[in-house]
Amino acid sequence: MPAAFRSATPLLWALLGETLTQRAGIVNLGTEGQMLVGAATAFAVTAHTSNPWLGLAAGAASGMLLSLGHALLCLRFRANQFASGIAIWMIGFGVSSLLGATLVGQSITGFAPLAESWLGARLPFIGWLTPTVWLGPVATLAAGLFLFRTRPGLCWRAVGESGAAASAAGLRVALIRTLAVSTGGVLSGVGGAALSIDYAQTWAEGMSKGRGLVAVGLVIVARYNPWLALPSALLFGGTEALVLRVQSAGSDASAHLLHMLPYLVSLAVLVLSCIGTGARAAAPAELRAVLQR
Amino acid sequence: MDGGGRGVTALPLQLSDSAQRPASPGVLAAAWRSSFRPGLRALLSAALLFVASASLFFLVLGRAPLPLFLALWDGSFGSGFALSETLVKASPVLLCALATALPAALGLISVGAEGQLGMGAIAGSAFVLLAGEGLGLATLPLMLLAGASGGAAYAALAGFLRARLRVNETISTLLLNYLPPLLIEYLVYGPWKDPASVGWPATISFPDAARPSTYFDTRLHAGLLIGLVLVAIFHVVATRTRFGLCLRLLRDSPLLAERAGLSFRNWVLWILLLGGAAAGIAGILEVSVIEGRLQSGVGTGAGYAGFLVAFLARGRPLRLLPLALLVSGLSAAGDNLQMSADLPSSVVYVLQGLLFAAALIAERRRSVPAFAAEVGGWTALGRPCSAGSCPRRSAARRLCSGRCSVRR
Repeated sequence: MPAAFRSATPLLWALLGETLTQRAGIVNLGTEGQMLVGAATAFAVTAHTSNPWLGLAAGAASGMLLSLGHALLCLRFRANQFASGIAIWMIGFGVSSLLGATLVGQSITGFAPLAESWLGARLPFIGWLTPTVWLGPVATLAAGLFLFRTRPGLCWRAVGESGAAASAAGLRVALIRTLAVSTGGVLSGVGGAALSIDYAQTWAEGMSKGRGLVAVGLVIVARYNPWLALPSALLFGGTEALVLRVQSAGSDASAHLLHMLPYLVSLAVLVLSCIGTGARAAAPAELRAVLQR
Repeated sequence: MDGGGRGVTALPLQLSDSAQRPASPGVLAAAWRSSFRPGLRALLSAALLFVASASLFFLVLGRAPLPLFLALWDGSFGSGFALSETLVKASPVLLCALATALPAALGLISVGAEGQLGMGAIAGSAFVLLAGEGLGLATLPLMLLAGASGGAAYAALAGFLRARLRVNETISTLLLNYLPPLLIEYLVYGPWKDPASVGWPATISFPDAARPSTYFDTRLHAGLLIGLVLVAIFHVVATRTRFGLCLRLLRDSPLLAERAGLSFRNWVLWILLLGGAAAGIAGILEVSVIEGRLQSGVGTGAGYAGFLVAFLARGRPLRLLPLALLVSGLSAAGDNLQMSADLPSSVVYVLQGLLFAAALIAERRRSVPAFAAEVGGWTALGRPCSAGSCPRRSAARRLCSGRCSVRR
């Protein structure tokens, strides 16, 4: 279970960000690139300053910076959202490889687990938690409360349902969407940072291995609902943890075949959730125009 | 559909345009708009934007832009060898561009060429390794056929999901792209590993009968020719035949197409399948000509480069050719940059992304697909058309030409 949570955490952050973005009616395939840039920046900053919190902040900032490119392309210049997202992904992949070229093989000291703090040492069962892991569910809670229980959240959802109606109601649609995209950027940057400075504690080119794209798919599985992001992310994380467990148990099954499992599981649940009408009904109306004809 | 007849009404449209919007951006912009045709304008502004953003990027890297641009030229078209390497890289890119452009003719955004290329490589290699003994001259065509069917079957999976279960094809193809590389690694580390090779994981070298010949003392092979022929066929079919008309109808007006008895479901499946076959051919050619055996990392990046090419071509098949040259020139130059300018080859991905972004910005007004406008969501994506010029009403349609985002 701890292993599942740990490997689900980077995905959970990206998934939360993508959910918020899509709720405002924008699909961002650049999440993958934002995660990579976030991971590379966070690792570099942590390696230089040996302060993982600074690294986390830098990762979030760089993710946001890249996501603003997506906002610029599809809001200001009305580019196709998928195309723009893939452009951002390419740029993010290239920039993160450039940044990371000198980082390969370096080691860092990441976050200390909770057990080393005053509180963690006195509580049972949760000593293994590191900040990004326990912050993930907290952020899920916050995102859900924001989206469903606050007025700005209502505005975001309104913009996602119908930009024209929201605009007529006096909302600044482009501004809200830019905010939503950059919030997604921050969260996916944090996700990337969680991957490089907490989960893996190394840097490798293209290390997010499609987690950002899986996140885009799992948003549909999660019914565009932050509350459901946690179980959806756990599905991927749980499979990945299971694969690692099976491998370390010395199973005969090929490691390469096993590594296909997380993607297959994600694809399978995506297909399953597309079969019913639930996901289609849950999609913000504005998004339906983008996703489905 | 953004083809003929665009220029005919250009002048009055420009006039009404400026009349409706007195607060125009300025004299320079007006001159810029009136002196070129829209297509040329988009091309020029894309080129300018790309050069500007790439220069900025080089400056951020702490390099002078001009020598790097010269190095890019040297590495792509500057010498006979560079040109031949560009052409070698252009062959999978062109075929993968077809794998994207065909579905795009239906209004689908398939990013699956990368995975279909991998599956083509696997299926073609499977044929050579398991059944390729003693077939003589028949080996090559059968191998290509096997590769094509591998890619096609993989694309048909995404097509099935799209047509029957309404799974968005962009997301499913992106996820499917991650499986073939892992499958290839499994095969070359496991059941297909060359027993004679100690360290390097790869299959046995293909027999000579399964190695297509190369020409002019370079690595140039027949793949480029296959790509050229396929593009020519695609162009003729898309512009001159009933089939092409069906494609345009399905893309621009699915409801009308349904009334006319065209089944969108079936077309999705078959079109994706055809595109996948092209990518599959690219995959097996990369294996058999370039590598001579299956190993991991085959054709990496060609699928996404092909996506870029197809998107830049904006539904015009003939544009695929120069654009494929341009994009594969960029990636060939990347290898050169590594040696001559000591820059990592991942610079190429940044440059490709910048090129993509530049093209998207330059194309801004005509980039929203027709079906999005049909659903009515597009106005919210930017400024709405001014009153009385709704793009869906044909009488008023001409009023908003050049300003609204509906593709004509």
